[in-house]
Amino acid sequence: MNNVGELLLIALGLSTPLIFAMLGGFASERGGVINIGLEGMMLSGACMSALVGVAHGPGWGLVAGIVAATSLSLLHWLATQVYRVDQVISGMAINATAAGATNFLNQKFATGASSTVFPELPYQLLALGSVIAVAVVASRTRYGLQLVAVGADPTKARLVGLNPVRIRLLAAIATGLFTGLAGNYLVAETGVFTDNMTAGRGYIALAALILAGWRPVPGLVTALVFGFLSALSIKLQGQAVAGVVLPGEFWTSVPYLLTVLAMAGFVARSRTPAGLGKF
Amino acid sequence: MKWRLAALILGCVIVLAVAVSVAGKSPIEALTTLVKGSLGTPRARAGTLQEMTPLLFASIGVFVALRAGLFNIGIEGQFLVGAMTATYAGLKGPGGPMGIGLAILAGSLAGAIWALPPAVIKAYRNGHEVITTIMLNNVASAFTAWVVAGPGKAPDAGSPTSANLPASLNLGNIQLAGVPVSYGLLGGFLLVAVVGWWLSRRVTGYEFRVTGANPRAARAAGINVPQQYLRAMIFSGAIGGLGGAIQVLAYEHRFYDSFSPGYGFDSLGVALLAGSQAWILLPAAGLFAVLAKGGTALDIFGVPKGITIMVLGMVILVVAAIRYRREDSVE
Repeated sequence: MNNVGELLLIALGLSTPLIFAMLGGFASERGGVINIGLEGMMLSGACMSALVGVAHGPGWGLVAGIVAATSLSLLHWLATQVYRVDQVISGMAINATAAGATNFLNQKFATGASSTVFPELPYQLLALGSVIAVAVVASRTRYGLQLVAVGADPTKARLVGLNPVRIRLLAAIATGLFTGLAGNYLVAETGVFTDNMTAGRGYIALAALILAGWRPVPGLVTALVFGFLSALSIKLQGQAVAGVVLPGEFWTSVPYLLTVLAMAGFVARSRTPAGLGKF
Repeated sequence: MKWRLAALILGCVIVLAVAVSVAGKSPIEALTTLVKGSLGTPRARAGTLQEMTPLLFASIGVFVALRAGLFNIGIEGQFLVGAMTATYAGLKGPGGPMGIGLAILAGSLAGAIWALPPAVIKAYRNGHEVITTIMLNNVASAFTAWVVAGPGKAPDAGSPTSANLPASLNLGNIQLAGVPVSYGLLGGFLLVAVVGWWLSRRVTGYEFRVTGANPRAARAAGINVPQQYLRAMIFSGAIGGLGGAIQVLAYEHRFYDSFSPGYGFDSLGVALLAGSQAWILLPAAGLFAVLAKGGTALDIFGVPKGITIMVLGMVILVVAAIRYRREDSVE
């Protein structure tokens, strides 16, 4: 029993950044903006949280992480909405910029000291609460409905007097907030930044979002399941399951494989926002 | 719109200048270091050409898919499985030219197979190829990492790596102006020419381009659009796999964990720079190779290498703002 409880705690810890990043992806993609830049935004959030956290304490670290991620999110908004850059290309460019910039900044400014950090439990509660909040905002408020409308069909939304570009701006800020929190949480686990420390979590969060049909509460479930899978892969290292030893890499791959199957229509019904990628 | 573009480019230049000064070096000095470190000596030039080879192959793969309107982000994964499969095919197969042929064939085939699920899902299930290829990239890196750490690990190796290929499987090189140029790179030049010719002069290439320009018009003209998607993706994946095989045969002679430092991702930028002209892949891949090779010199000079990756990201953004703007709706 104790083992099970421990496993679930590890799973919740591993899920938390996924939940935050998934919510960031939700805000963006529900409004019709494809966002593969979640990874880069998280990475920048983690880097700035660590660097500023060492110098000025975890509070300012948190603020800096959120500001960094939000800047990149706003850059994505600017590129895709004002410059009308292809959304996939912009997302990639943001990932590259973040990977490069964080490597640069970390090498220049990291002192080797680790930041004091906040405890993890409040983050985990905040993540769970945020899911509810986002779900309520998206389905019960004027702004949320406008965002969903813009994501479903930007042309029709324009016809009823909505301004998709402006509505997506607020969503972009929310994306920055959540991805910044996700990155900050990674630092809260270790206190230091290492190159590419997000290690594909942004993509897993995207996978969680897609598998959940772009809905926040099911997204929470998929993120928790993915976190549980990683916890299992840590716990089961080298142990046999039903007589077979499955390598850790197998468990790492499960979320990605499930997403491919979902895209093929085998796992979940596709609920892609109809206006995804449309201007 | 003109001033907006100017603002974007200016913004990027300012960010970079600030970044270099933050590193405590003068921008001019940093630039000369970059150029000297990549083109200054025969040795540096050889290194740049080596960097250029995988970028060129991978970007040809991306380019082909892009011409048919598909964004093959999965080139990284296809490159990885291609390189891995070519290595083991080379180890098991005969030596000499036969072995080289076998390894190249195996690598290309593996790349094509890795591209098959996204191809089918795009063609017949209307699932976005970007998502599926991203996911399969991650699977590819996990899968190849597992193979070289487990069943494919060289018995006496301390780190996850395959055994070394026999010397008879080395592609070899010719000397041009004192710089060794691998036959692999020359093969890449040839492939660019063939792909460019095929896209502009053959009916099947034309069908590709029509599909990419406007799938609805293509369907109206009697082109089987799903089939084009299928072909484009598989073809693209095969080229990615071929690139992996060439990388092994020409330079690395083995496969190891984290084999690609992101050639697949950089090649997306190369292909975007090339736009619709195949031959531009050559200077574009060259430019990226200069940045990659020169970045190492910068690193030693005291400006962290990350700055070149940052430059690449910004180049991609600016080029995309100029060339890949969406015009499908009125404001």
